[in-house]
Amino acid sequence: MSEKQQWEAIANHSKFIELKRRKRNFLFSWWIISTIYYLLLPVISGYFPEAFRVKVIGPINFGYLFILSQFVMAIGVAIYYAHVANKTFDRLTKQLLEALQ
Amino acid sequence: MKKRIAALTVALSLSMFGAAAVCAQAPASAAAPQAATAAAPQATAPATAAPAQAAAPSANAAAKAVAAPAKGGAAPAKITPNRGITIGMFALIIAVTMGVVVWAAKKTQTASDFYTAGGGITGFQNGWAIAGDYMSAASFLGMSGLISLYGIDGFMYAVGPMFSFIAILLVIAEPCRNAGKYTLGDILCFRSSPKVVRGVAALSTVTVSIFYLIAQMVGAGKLMQMLLNIPYRVSVIGVGALMVAYVVFGGMKATTWVQIIKASLLMGATTVLCLLVAIKAGFNPVRFFTDVVSNGAIQEHVRMNVLKDVIAKPGVDYGQRFLEPGLFLKNPLDQISLGLAWALGAAGLPHILMRFFTVPSAKDARKSIIVALFLNSSFFFMISVIGFGAALYLTPQAISAVDKGGNMATLLLAQHMGGGAGSLGGDIFLAFICAVAFATILAVVSGLVLAASAAIAHDVYVNIIKDGKADQQLQVKVARITSLFVGSSAIVMGLMAEKENVVALVALAFAVAASGNFPVIMLSLFWRKFNTAGIVSGLVVGTISALTLVMVSPVMTYPKKIAADAKKVVETLEKKQAGGAVLAEKEVQALEKSRTEYVKNKDGKSMVGLDAPIFPLKNPGIVSVPLGFLAAVFGCLLFRERRAEEMFDEIDVRQNTGIGITSAADH
Repeated sequence: MSEKQQWEAIANHSKFIELKRRKRNFLFSWWIISTIYYLLLPVISGYFPEAFRVKVIGPINFGYLFILSQFVMAIGVAIYYAHVANKTFDRLTKQLLEALQ
Repeated sequence: MKKRIAALTVALSLSMFGAAAVCAQAPASAAAPQAATAAAPQATAPATAAPAQAAAPSANAAAKAVAAPAKGGAAPAKITPNRGITIGMFALIIAVTMGVVVWAAKKTQTASDFYTAGGGITGFQNGWAIAGDYMSAASFLGMSGLISLYGIDGFMYAVGPMFSFIAILLVIAEPCRNAGKYTLGDILCFRSSPKVVRGVAALSTVTVSIFYLIAQMVGAGKLMQMLLNIPYRVSVIGVGALMVAYVVFGGMKATTWVQIIKASLLMGATTVLCLLVAIKAGFNPVRFFTDVVSNGAIQEHVRMNVLKDVIAKPGVDYGQRFLEPGLFLKNPLDQISLGLAWALGAAGLPHILMRFFTVPSAKDARKSIIVALFLNSSFFFMISVIGFGAALYLTPQAISAVDKGGNMATLLLAQHMGGGAGSLGGDIFLAFICAVAFATILAVVSGLVLAASAAIAHDVYVNIIKDGKADQQLQVKVARITSLFVGSSAIVMGLMAEKENVVALVALAFAVAASGNFPVIMLSLFWRKFNTAGIVSGLVVGTISALTLVMVSPVMTYPKKIAADAKKVVETLEKKQAGGAVLAEKEVQALEKSRTEYVKNKDGKSMVGLDAPIFPLKNPGIVSVPLGFLAAVFGCLLFRERRAEEMFDEIDVRQNTGIGITSAADH
């Protein structure tokens, strides 16, 4: 079997297809969601600054909290991703490698 | 080899010392004229898009800056570190990092050792190193300064760098670790014509790295000049020589460890400073911000210096305004564009990409990003506390008196918190922060030199010229020679670029990375049909459109605008004179300076021969990123390539599973 056919064989392996599908669904949907949330920051501050002026606790306003929420969002997505990757993706990869042997 | 390195190390450390000592002896005479140069606004914002942008308005308004002291009266204050202690701290840092270089040099035998530390860096270590790459002098000094002068707008800048980790984590880190070897070219040439693609990728890598590098070198020169009165040239050559030594002898191992050491020092310093502010505020954020908004100096600064309301407008709470957006960032479209460039550009920066090859597996690549994200988000958060703290405890007026861009806020706060100017605690803390800023620049520039030289040595020399047929010894030798060459060129360019606009250089680096590199990396990894023509057209169009748009954007210097500003100052002052008023000494100086400024600039044109910017945005991302993607897609569809499609399976399997990955070298 040529090298190309070997890669093709793995690529058509049912376990690989499942791994790839789950990975891409997860990665791209979270990437897009988080990017939209991130871009809301310049959009709101630029076009709807009144929203950022609303005071929430003492002098601390919505704008400040929204910036902080970006930090929380990034860390949250990262931890969730690590959790899913360690649990699901690594397990599927391991299963695939075992099946190939 | 070992002896030679040791000898060189000593020689280098001594020469740095010598330079510093010479300058230390003649500070008084140099201080006066240098205060003026140091106050030149755009100069001291060392790097990254964030604070670099901060300098933009002041750079364009050089003439206004000249007029400012005339109004204020008092001469700009200066920050005066204790030279003995500071030089001692510098020497300590140079000695420790040189020790790392000697140790790393012994372990650098193969090309893989040189470019990726043999893949033997752990995820945790790599996380610190990546975090270090993000904590440039600009984020350390510039961002806190921006917050201390413009409030919440400065804090918003922190979000971009932090968020960029998400793109890297989700779509770049693991696939690249799985599919690549040393450089961007390795990932891209997988299923395309290797020579063409490597050539273009190398060109793009060198472009991005060099722009970023020059910006850092200019920043380093200005910073050292300001802090220790070391002349610009001496500090550029000194920083350059050290960075060349780190890379040439120690390769990636030394570069990584220098970065880790610097990142720990920086985190330590930031944590202490942030804690001191928190203690002073009684660990109560509400009280802290109440103090900020009710601070008279901040209120006056916002009213007079930022919003220019000579008479307070009724109903405006100028203190609260400090916590609201729009004081510094004024064009929403520009912000979105910058945000986009950050989110994607960081993922296309070659020196960041290269760090994923230093870890043994995709799992470690993932771990390093998460560690880096944690470190950086806490770092940026602490920087915001430092920025607001500086505004509260030092006043924005005092900070901008030392440096118009606010770049000295962190240093001033350290001095203040350590016990004030002249006290031992203040001197030690200030000296420590200065030394950390210096280490920061060294570590960041080393990574950049390594990325640029890897592109030349590995992609161009070994794989294009030698067809990949070069033994390990030759490869390492070439890599070392290239690093020496890249480093020396960077020093020369740093010397020539003294007057260049740092903002433009950084905007360029990020725009090229986001519009040239990022689309082709993504498409190579995820699109079956993607091929040589797509890579070449994407890289070329993305890079050229980004370059062109920055060249005609407002970040460049437009002499006619400077002349117009100068003319306004001249007219105002002459009118005052004509009205019978006697000008103060400061005003006479400002008048003279504005007159020469006007004559010098009135017939000038920008670098590309323009009177005024054609493109309205400071950052071209919002236009050039889609252009890069479109060009890549069209180029690929115009010239279909069957082989590339057939080979997609291989890269797909590799990037998803890590099968066929080069294993870590054993040390």
